[in-house]
Amino acid sequence: MPKYLARRIGQSLLTVFLTLTTVFLLVRLAPGDPASAYAAPNATTAELARIREQFGLDDPLLVQYGLFLRDLFTGDLGTSYSFSSPAFDVVLDRMPYTITLAVSAIAVTTVVAVPLGVWMARRADTRRELGANVLTIAGQSMPDFWTGVMLLTVFAVVLPILPASGFTTWSGLILPTATVAVLQLALVSRLVRREMTTALASSYITVARSRGVSESALTWRYALANSAVPLVTALGTRFAALLNGVVVVEVVFGWPGVGSLVVRALETRDYPLIQATVLVTATLAILVQLLVDLAYPLLDPRVRLGKAA
Amino acid sequence: MTPTPHRVPPPGHLTRRTVLRWSALGGAGVALGPLSACAGPTGAPGPGTLTLGLNRSLVSLDNKLNQFEAAVTVQRAVRQALTRIGPDLEPQLVLADRFEMTEPTAWTVRLREGVCYSDGSPVTVEDVATALRMYGKVPGSFLLGLFPELPTVEATGERTFLLRTERPLPVLDRLMANIHITPAKANRPEELRSGLGSGPYRVVRANSGAGEYTLARNTRYWGRQPSVEKVQVRFVPEESSRVVALRSGELDVVDTLTPDSAEQLIGLPGVTVQENVGVRMCQLFYNFRKPKGHPLADPRVRQALTYAIDGTALVDDVLTGTAEEARGVVPLALQGAVQTGTYAFDPGRARQLLRSLGADDLRLKVIWESGEFAGDTSVMEALLDMLQDVGVRASLQQFQPGGDILKWRQGRAGNWDVIGNGYSSPTGQALTMLQGMYGGTAEKERTGDAFMGYVIPRIERQLSAAATEVDDAERDRRLAEVQHAVWDTWPSLWAFAPKTLLARRDRVQGLALQAINSYDLTAIRLEG
Amino acid sequence: MTTAVSAGRPSAVTARDLARATATRQRRGARLKLWAGAICTALVVLPVTLAGVLPLPGANTQDLSRRRLPPLSEGHLFGTDQLGRDLLSRVLHGGQVSLAVGVLAVLVSGLIGIAAGAAAGFFGGWIDAVVSRFLEAQLALPLLMMLLLVVALFGPSVTVITCVIALAQWPEVARLTRSLVLVEREKAYVAAARVLGLRSWSVLARHVIPNVVRPASLVVLLLLAQAVLLESALSFLGAGPQRPFATWGRIISDGQDYITTSWWLVTLPGLVIALLVVGVNLLGDGLRDRTRPRSGKGA
Repeated sequence: MPKYLARRIGQSLLTVFLTLTTVFLLVRLAPGDPASAYAAPNATTAELARIREQFGLDDPLLVQYGLFLRDLFTGDLGTSYSFSSPAFDVVLDRMPYTITLAVSAIAVTTVVAVPLGVWMARRADTRRELGANVLTIAGQSMPDFWTGVMLLTVFAVVLPILPASGFTTWSGLILPTATVAVLQLALVSRLVRREMTTALASSYITVARSRGVSESALTWRYALANSAVPLVTALGTRFAALLNGVVVVEVVFGWPGVGSLVVRALETRDYPLIQATVLVTATLAILVQLLVDLAYPLLDPRVRLGKAA
Repeated sequence: MTPTPHRVPPPGHLTRRTVLRWSALGGAGVALGPLSACAGPTGAPGPGTLTLGLNRSLVSLDNKLNQFEAAVTVQRAVRQALTRIGPDLEPQLVLADRFEMTEPTAWTVRLREGVCYSDGSPVTVEDVATALRMYGKVPGSFLLGLFPELPTVEATGERTFLLRTERPLPVLDRLMANIHITPAKANRPEELRSGLGSGPYRVVRANSGAGEYTLARNTRYWGRQPSVEKVQVRFVPEESSRVVALRSGELDVVDTLTPDSAEQLIGLPGVTVQENVGVRMCQLFYNFRKPKGHPLADPRVRQALTYAIDGTALVDDVLTGTAEEARGVVPLALQGAVQTGTYAFDPGRARQLLRSLGADDLRLKVIWESGEFAGDTSVMEALLDMLQDVGVRASLQQFQPGGDILKWRQGRAGNWDVIGNGYSSPTGQALTMLQGMYGGTAEKERTGDAFMGYVIPRIERQLSAAATEVDDAERDRRLAEVQHAVWDTWPSLWAFAPKTLLARRDRVQGLALQAINSYDLTAIRLEG
Repeated sequence: MTTAVSAGRPSAVTARDLARATATRQRRGARLKLWAGAICTALVVLPVTLAGVLPLPGANTQDLSRRRLPPLSEGHLFGTDQLGRDLLSRVLHGGQVSLAVGVLAVLVSGLIGIAAGAAAGFFGGWIDAVVSRFLEAQLALPLLMMLLLVVALFGPSVTVITCVIALAQWPEVARLTRSLVLVEREKAYVAAARVLGLRSWSVLARHVIPNVVRPASLVVLLLLAQAVLLESALSFLGAGPQRPFATWGRIISDGQDYITTSWWLVTLPGLVIALLVVGVNLLGDGLRDRTRPRSGKGA
């Protein structure tokens, strides 16, 4: 187990490192100039050159990369150009918003999708279930920006009962959560249905049923418990993806999370901020995945880490 | 995955189920932690709170770099300058009670008696000197570009000093409205994240990452106390969200409206849309780096093309009446601006002139950056259609913010013919804008710094002569002359001056929107 | 039980029982999905492909005096947009771009995904390690941001956007192919081919890949749906082909400025996207239900 853990963490570190390197190169190769985004539109070429020098952007790429790595190992992610404060702090300022949205979306998804999926599995292939099935397909087919704008139109314009933007009241959480959850809900409930149909058809269920175990116990304690591994994997993966920032939803609802921060950092070519965002979100996402993997033996005592897969 | 025989865990041992239960509990805790850290239960503005919705993020309340017009309102509520630009674009005294040109190159200034910061400490001459030095050290500052040179401070008494310049700077009193004063000790050559100001409000909560600020009345303010107790500044990036939030009363004031949002808000119960003339000029500027012999290097071709543009339709239908078609080379609201001519729409004439000039097979590439001016994409797409009608094949290239448009502007990237560009004059002076756009020299052009390659030595000479003219009447006469000369070079395919627009809830009273797209927070009252 | 029907049959299983059997119901469900999917898809794809010949005003023909007319007015079925252009025409012409990008992206990602996944699964070792790292990194990356960056890097053209979407999608195919190949690799025919002296890569190319292409290609329709969504999200965020080209995401993002007055500018294009994607998803789902080797051992 410790050996497995060490190997996994090593791999994860490598992934984060490669990701960071890719981003580092990509942002510098992309057209656009942080200095001109930072300076006023009437800045002269000489001034721009001075700013570039101040940002250390006139060094060769390799030197910049070396310096970046050196600072990285001392825990310094650089100073954001547009916020003129440590990039890491700027990202941390935004993180709670993203985590809040991710947690609430995953919570809603779990609470709704699991019973829905179970219901669909038990009523598999009935007419009503087919209706629900098609509905979930519709849910995963709507573009999220469109769902967002439509929800906004209905609940903030036609019936002005919910705030349109930002997070200053708790009710501001409802529309973004709903927008994110529609898609997640569709995906997760379909997964639950698939797993549960298989589980409910297994022989151990038949045996248990013949012993007189009640249907509800069969469903929830036997079949669902056996579907826990794929379910938790799916929820974990989705959660990790949400931590990367739900860019579109954050843009539509003016949500001050990392997703909209990334868009802004891109628009100002704020290299340190882009790098810091990627580092933090990638680390978190990988951490969640790791936790999910570590949870397998808890969910299913048959799983031995390091042997499976 | 080998199944293991069932084992009973020894007593006291952590069972799988206990771990699961505990981690579920822990997870719930982790989930609720960030939640409670974020938002409080208060969202809708309270009776004594004014909520502003800005469309750009206010990174700090300092203006050394972060210079967009609407920010000035908030910045000036916290930090003040010696002067400010008043409602009629005339300078008014703020921290100074005397600001006079006593020699062509020296101004005598006296600080007002009893001006102090929100901690009670007095505003000193040293603070002014330090502020000027610090602004001078910030590379790429927009404000610095407005100053032909920064004045030096020469103290002559405890509250009096001289501002000296090398060459006469007749508009120094207006320029100094942009230099915000903060205690010398805390001032640094960068955007200040915090610190004191002498304004009517002080910052009680700031989240620069999200662009949100809470201001409260500065109880030690040296002037009259403002009527509104608390001001909440919010950053609402999506224009449609600002409209919706104002409708529902979530926001009290939204500034810098786009034409479309103005159209949606006009006539709504409980909402008033205010407008004023603007100090911004939006132009479809020609590329002046075309080689001799290129059609666009010929002013007659540039003029002929302007007949293709239906300015009335653009102003009325696309910009929904929120702009005025240019009748000069700078907005007429600016001090010293004169009317020099008008754009006419006559596609037949455009076609005929282009043919007679041998430019009937013209292809134009129009470039601009998203958001350069309100309604940019609609204007550009409409423009394409109008050019097509006179047989000019045009293509559009839109740059995303952060992209390479500067390189293109400087002529160091691709080839282009017309650029959509907005230019503002926060000093309210025609001269500042004229110098910025038409004061290009061969030396500046070597580094691509002449505005769109506009280098016409005759005009540049006229401009610098006007700039150093100390006599007001003579300066205005020279300025008028140079504007006519610029107009005759036909620098723009079309141009318009957007009006300054703002929408407020009716409970917000006493808001006087200025042409520089800013207003005085202290004058505002809240009713209901 | 109705006995009347069973008269002519030697079995106690009535036609009604048959009709209610799970297998029948599953088949019926799959057929229903296929039909519904085909209809939804055709409703969008046919007009889009025929946009050029349908009697519609041009997608870029402006009439500033007829701005933002509501649907069904003056011969504009979907109404007009902020510059008086026919919205239906714009949606259909925009759809051509979106569909072309989607189909091309799926082809490219399918090719890359199958190649990489098969190589990883078959050869294992360092190839597998490299591919797996890529797959993992992709999960950890803020995907949309990377895509925006790449579009910024190479400029927003149809080719670039196609490649970018393919870049985002190949891991899905690769993951599936890899798992299929892992199973396939252990089968006897592979060993037989090896014994016969075929080299590894030709075993892979000539024997293994043909066996996994069919199941792997089932995800293609689902990927197509995702590609269409991704393309519209990118152009919603501003990374679409140059104006005045209409794309679905851009029509919606432009229309967003008018939500309080002109609902159709956002609603209708969104409905068209949703209809197409629902159709494609239903088709994919139906096909999968049909070809699935009787999951759950015939529950």
